[in-house]
Amino acid sequence: MDPVLYGYMLYVVSLLTVGGLYAILALGLNVQWGFTGLFNAGIAGFFGIGAYTAAILTTNPHASHVGGFQMPYVVAAIAAMLVAGVIAFLVGKVCLRLRSDYLAIATIGIAEIFRLIVNNETWATNGPRGISQIPRPFEGLPEPINQFAFLGVVLVTLAGVYWLMEIARKSPWGRVMTAIRDNETSAKAAGKNVETFRMEGFVIGCMIMALAGALMAHYLKFVNPQTTDPLLATFIVFVMLVIGGSANNKGAILGAFLVWTLWSASEIVAPRLLEAIGMTDAGIRSAYVRIFLIGLLLQIFLQKNPQGILPETRPSSPGKNSS
Amino acid sequence: MKLVKQLAITACAAAMFATAAHADTIKVGSAGGVTGPIAELVATIVKGRDLARDQINAEGGLLKGSKLEMVIGDSACDPKAAVDAVGKLVNVEQVVGIVGPSCSGATNASVQAVTIPAGVAVLSDSATAPSVTELKDNDTVFRVAPSDAYQGLAIAQLVNKAGIKKVAMTYSNDDYNAGIAKVFEEEFKKMGGEITGNQAHEPNKASYRSELQTLTQGGPEAIAIFAYYGSSGITIIKNSLENGLFGKFFAADGMFDQSVIDQIGADNLKGNIQITQASSDTEDASYKAFAEAFKATGSDPAAPYAAHGYDATFMMALAIEKAGSADRAKIKDALRAISDGKGEVVRPGEWAKAKKLIADGTDINYEGASGSADFDENGDVSGVFAVNVVGDDGKWAKELLK
Repeated sequence: MDPVLYGYMLYVVSLLTVGGLYAILALGLNVQWGFTGLFNAGIAGFFGIGAYTAAILTTNPHASHVGGFQMPYVVAAIAAMLVAGVIAFLVGKVCLRLRSDYLAIATIGIAEIFRLIVNNETWATNGPRGISQIPRPFEGLPEPINQFAFLGVVLVTLAGVYWLMEIARKSPWGRVMTAIRDNETSAKAAGKNVETFRMEGFVIGCMIMALAGALMAHYLKFVNPQTTDPLLATFIVFVMLVIGGSANNKGAILGAFLVWTLWSASEIVAPRLLEAIGMTDAGIRSAYVRIFLIGLLLQIFLQKNPQGILPETRPSSPGKNSS
Repeated sequence: MKLVKQLAITACAAAMFATAAHADTIKVGSAGGVTGPIAELVATIVKGRDLARDQINAEGGLLKGSKLEMVIGDSACDPKAAVDAVGKLVNVEQVVGIVGPSCSGATNASVQAVTIPAGVAVLSDSATAPSVTELKDNDTVFRVAPSDAYQGLAIAQLVNKAGIKKVAMTYSNDDYNAGIAKVFEEEFKKMGGEITGNQAHEPNKASYRSELQTLTQGGPEAIAIFAYYGSSGITIIKNSLENGLFGKFFAADGMFDQSVIDQIGADNLKGNIQITQASSDTEDASYKAFAEAFKATGSDPAAPYAAHGYDATFMMALAIEKAGSADRAKIKDALRAISDGKGEVVRPGEWAKAKKLIADGTDINYEGASGSADFDENGDVSGVFAVNVVGDDGKWAKELLK
């Protein structure tokens, strides 16, 4: 195969892999923000909990951190979700009664606490040095089949999460969620236990985020506290969800792939554009210009499409066959 | 869906741009945290890399006159961004080798996830984490920045040489200082010394009195500080002296700055502080050659890792020349050959000479601005370290450690 074509193929594989991981994150956020209306600004924290749990459970023994459990990937992924679920429950107990913007502040705090813990509990996490040599499913297969195989793992997981979330969305449970989001008082008046439903939405969303984190740890083969940097773990996920279409699972997935492709591919385009207009130091400048351009594009887009690309569609009510 | 269409068009345009690269250039990736927490450091490191590129292109270029092109990849000091950026360099830009990335975490992730499987040589100019050494890398990961392991060892030797048997230590909890501190602890214990207390501290606190108070237990004769001078180091020394807790200090290069002497006073520190520093031998002919050229471009040759950036780029180019083609596999093998301590010495700026020697089939040995740059079996260099003490003029006086 022509090496240039081969390279592009591998790049597309990596775009789809990371896009798929972000799509899982966006689906998790969609449960919280899209359906339940919970403003979780601490995505990076739960993402990180998943990444670190999977890393610790699957790595070989190493003097620098706890571990050496060498557990199967599936067990580690489930454990990552459970740990995140328990922590989300405890956090939810304290924070979920807060109104939207206060919840955002509280969850930012949670993510920061998590970052400080992994940074300081060196015995467990190797602190700022991070956990290295994390195994990746199918990495023993020859190149490039292993990359396709891991992409398969990500896409199958994404499809599974999507399927479950669609069932949830169309179920009575999903309708209660949107009712709470749109009018909490009337949901309460209809006899729904709002606190419990909000807690369920929060915990489920956080567990999905942890699943994405676990897969990301395998993909990167390395985690450190910088991996939970909010720019590429919290804010970009919100952008993906809002662009794609909040409260629409297909929209969350579309937004994730689209925004990630834009984010990544702009690094290829931007320096060439700057060079074409005769700018010196195009390489370094373009790193900043591209972030500016992405921001600008998102602004323009959201001005024109505040609903996102795929706006919310309500499931039909039971008993009626019109959809 | 209009946006989707526009995006598709942009992507196609990008693809066309990418393949339209001139056939007479050879691309090397220049990965680094261009944005992110160490953007300022990286800007100068990239200037060092670019100086090497310009000199090489001015003196005949690579192989049969191909131009060396350095393609920037923004690793942002974040493992996620680094894997993406380095992946693009390898797959889309089709670089033959990579100089960088800068941060250890970014390097660790991107070499494991991308370059080791792809078989592309990576030569980092500023990743110093010891964990890079232990990767199973098929001999593709190299660095010209010495591992922190070596600085930790250098400080341990200094303390030992000063006849001190019991020492307390504290480190700022970031990846750089924590790494050096860990090696120091291990090495000092190996030398038969005793660590009476070891405390991590968070930077930017107003006072470290309580931490220091705890550290005085067990009768330490001195304290080893692994911190940045601005965010905690100066405060720690001040608190120690004001309260009479510690009088003798050893420190790693994060503490090296004139403001340490200015704020605490030369009289208080003279004879009582020693700071190690990954250094260049400024008397060395290689360093002088680099420094002169770098100054001429308006940059500071003493800037952290700028000399390393220059060396890494020059060595990558030498490896391409030695390999005789832009073949990734041959280049990674050639990296060892051009800097194994044997052969005719080539110094910074001597591209035309090196080109001729390689053409004649003579073995060459690159002696870099940052040190001899001879790789050990792990692809690491031992580096050059200096110790700084307070001189008579109230400035740091540097002495190379041999």
